[in-house]
Amino acid sequence: MLKVVVGIKWVPNTTSVNIDPNTGTLIREGIPSVVNPHDLEAVEMALRLKDEYGGKVTVITMSPPSAIAGLEHVLGMGADEAILVSDRAFAGADTLATSYVLAKVIDRLDYDLIIFGQETIDSSTAHIGAQVASWLDLPYVYYVTHAELRGGKLVVRRSLEDAHETYELDLPALISVAMHSLNPRRVRVSNKLRVKLENPIKTWSNEVLGLDPECIGLRGSPTALSKIEMVPKVPRKNEVFRGEAREAAKWLLEKLKEEGLLELG
Amino acid sequence: MVCKEWPEINLEEYEGVWVAAFADNEGKEIEEASLQLIGAARELADKLNTYVGVALIGSGVRELAEKPIYYGADRVYVVDDERLSVYYPTVWGKVLYELASKYKPEVFLIPATLRGRELAPYVANSFRTGITADLTSMDVDERGDVVLIRPPFGGFMLAHIVTRNRRPVMGSVRPNIFPTPERDESRHGEIYEERVEIPPPRGIRLLGREPIMKKEEIPIEKAEVIVAGGKGIGSKEGFELLKRLADLLGGVIAGSSKAVDAGWIGHDMQVGQTGKAVKPNLYIAVAISGAAQHVFGIREAKRVVAINIDPDAPIFEHADYGIVGDYREVVPALIELLEEMKGKGKIE
Repeated sequence: MLKVVVGIKWVPNTTSVNIDPNTGTLIREGIPSVVNPHDLEAVEMALRLKDEYGGKVTVITMSPPSAIAGLEHVLGMGADEAILVSDRAFAGADTLATSYVLAKVIDRLDYDLIIFGQETIDSSTAHIGAQVASWLDLPYVYYVTHAELRGGKLVVRRSLEDAHETYELDLPALISVAMHSLNPRRVRVSNKLRVKLENPIKTWSNEVLGLDPECIGLRGSPTALSKIEMVPKVPRKNEVFRGEAREAAKWLLEKLKEEGLLELG
Repeated sequence: MVCKEWPEINLEEYEGVWVAAFADNEGKEIEEASLQLIGAARELADKLNTYVGVALIGSGVRELAEKPIYYGADRVYVVDDERLSVYYPTVWGKVLYELASKYKPEVFLIPATLRGRELAPYVANSFRTGITADLTSMDVDERGDVVLIRPPFGGFMLAHIVTRNRRPVMGSVRPNIFPTPERDESRHGEIYEERVEIPPPRGIRLLGREPIMKKEEIPIEKAEVIVAGGKGIGSKEGFELLKRLADLLGGVIAGSSKAVDAGWIGHDMQVGQTGKAVKPNLYIAVAISGAAQHVFGIREAKRVVAINIDPDAPIFEHADYGIVGDYREVVPALIELLEEMKGKGKIE
């Protein structure tokens, strides 16, 4: 029996966002929100551990209520229950204030293991895992590609730039899953039906949590945005060739040769 | 009123720009990302009219302590202890926190290598301060506060982030965002051999470590020529074609985030905001649409070539030379021509 808590984020699908070349502004319309894809890998790892050893998977997210669609998705994958942590008082939080709320939520749960995705596609800070580990004073390891239980302890493998490493962690512990390491399972109709019937999503506001308003949201955030500017476009030549492939190739190689950029390997 | 979880601090006490420096794999050198950060810290410290401090921790690192000075540091704080021969994020995080707590730097920067990204938020949290991930530049505003600048969403914008009432101001910086400074052995600085409490690793044990054999291939961030493929490549086999082109040009292959997501190429070869920033002389983007987060990674490329079947692909706006066409035809044509040239010895 392993009780796992997974933290996920509901994010705008920024990889497909682009700039309107005429106005220079973000094209936001039609950009759907999704569960951060790397967090689905965290859910997948939790579900594999549950498949292997039995237990319970609880997914939490701090978000406006629209994230319920994301929680339904991970419940559809097989998670047992979900908590939407949602309150206007949490808005505007930086990673310190966000991790504080998540740590306080997790503190109220009965858990052996906390799993996060490596980073999010919208801000890609990879902060929250280590910050939650710090608040809860837990051992932690990032970039895990494989986890298993051995004699009541969690043995994890991970890869860094220069080494593969294996760690043994006493529980409770916190890990983050290396992105691109697991293939998240699909949503199953039977799970979706269960979601409809049982409604396993709870919402916790700050009325439930009772956290000091000075420690959460904008006020609990040491960092502040002072200014946003557009990234200036790097000037490029923008010469384009349209035509038959061999002619195009000739044109390009001629250009590169002129500039001394052709050094055959 | 401030959060009761935050210890009270006196902002006036905090001075200096600090960098956490780590030894590389064999422990013989300071890792490149740390040296680059020392250069960036030097520039900021000059603006603030203060010193650059380097926190150098590990086992056997005392003999490396002069090196940060050659690259711009004024003071090096060394914690050389056998108990730091194994890296544990909680232990190293606590040691960095103890060390910086003693000297109270205004700014504390940590290289965003994989270990650094794991460690930096833990250190920041110990101070109950904020942290800015993957900053790309730094400045000082009209109030005299340090501004850390990063691209927040997909590389279109730069967010200026300030930490008004907590210290240190913390940030992490990805490798190769800043250049490695010139080594100057005539520079002088002070070395402090520090003793701080080193907590035992609690609840965590390293069971095994296998060094990854350094690949023969040049890492993409150091390559002079890169042939990168995107979603439009369509298959792993397509990348073999790109590899042939890259070989002929003396370069390496890379990929967009979509190509990495599809599993056609490894994440260590991903170009873009969520991958690596590259600075080749020649970057050839093949079947890459040119999402802003990708283009962000090639800002420092000298020349950009785009090959794309879609004439409206945004990548053409970010390219010096564009070819509208199917890469399955254009790339083989390039390979053929290059092989002919090579055969005739036209180009050395």
